Amino acid sequence: MFGSRSHKITIDNELYERLEKAAQVAGHASTEEFIIHVLETTAPASSSADSEEEVRKRLQGLGYLE
Amino acid sequence: MSADFVTVVSGLPRSGTSLMMQMITAGGIEAVQDGQRAADADNPKGYLEFEAVKKLKEDASWVPGAVGKVVKVISMLLFDLPATQKYRVIFMTRHMDEILASQKEMLKRRGTLDDKGPSDDDMRKFFQNHLNKVRNWLSLQANIQVLFVDYNAIMSGDDKGIRDVGEFLGSAVNVDAMKKAIDASLYRNRHG
Repeated sequence: MFGSRSHKITIDNELYERLEKAAQVAGHASTEEFIIHVLETTAPASSSADSEEEVRKRLQGLGYLE
Repeated sequence: MSADFVTVVSGLPRSGTSLMMQMITAGGIEAVQDGQRAADADNPKGYLEFEAVKKLKEDASWVPGAVGKVVKVISMLLFDLPATQKYRVIFMTRHMDEILASQKEMLKRRGTLDDKGPSDDDMRKFFQNHLNKVRNWLSLQANIQVLFVDYNAIMSGDDKGIRDVGEFLGSAVNVDAMKKAIDASLYRNRHG
């Protein structure tokens, strides 16, 4: 899922229990799957550099950049 | 007393920058423009742009001559403004869905719409990232004062933004003349 590297984060019990319940309500197979889904949908779609490049392309298409 | 700063109208394309340029020039401040980009279906009253702005990074020699005048500089090019001048930036904001819809129409008319390009959802995130970066940068520039003006509010008849521009630019601009420059019939691509 994260390529060749993965990372662990620490979540306190109270928050984890809330996430566990939310995962069940949302129908996710596991709490971990739900947390990854939330992070993926919240984080920018791509890196900052890619994001800026797409903005640049759009502005070029509109005639505002060379 | 004459202004010692350059007035800059900025924002994303299709956020109302051309309207604000028209309003400010109607209010009595001369625009730095070259007329190269003629009026068209997307901007029937003209763009009031200056081609040299696109090459600001390579050549900013015209900027001192813009003191006391107004020039349009889209958000991405603000970073290239030379720090040797003072600026008052009027930054236009507009509902992002309207910006995206209007940009798409303009891309179609220009024949530059990339069907394989980013989705609206992705483009919205890209623009938000970009705007966050610009806002943070602007807040750190000692030579730049910024006023954010809501295009949607202006077009809905709320003239607070116009009065704010009047106060921001001082006595150099005629607020009543600015109001008269608004053409509500050009408010297309409304959200919701």
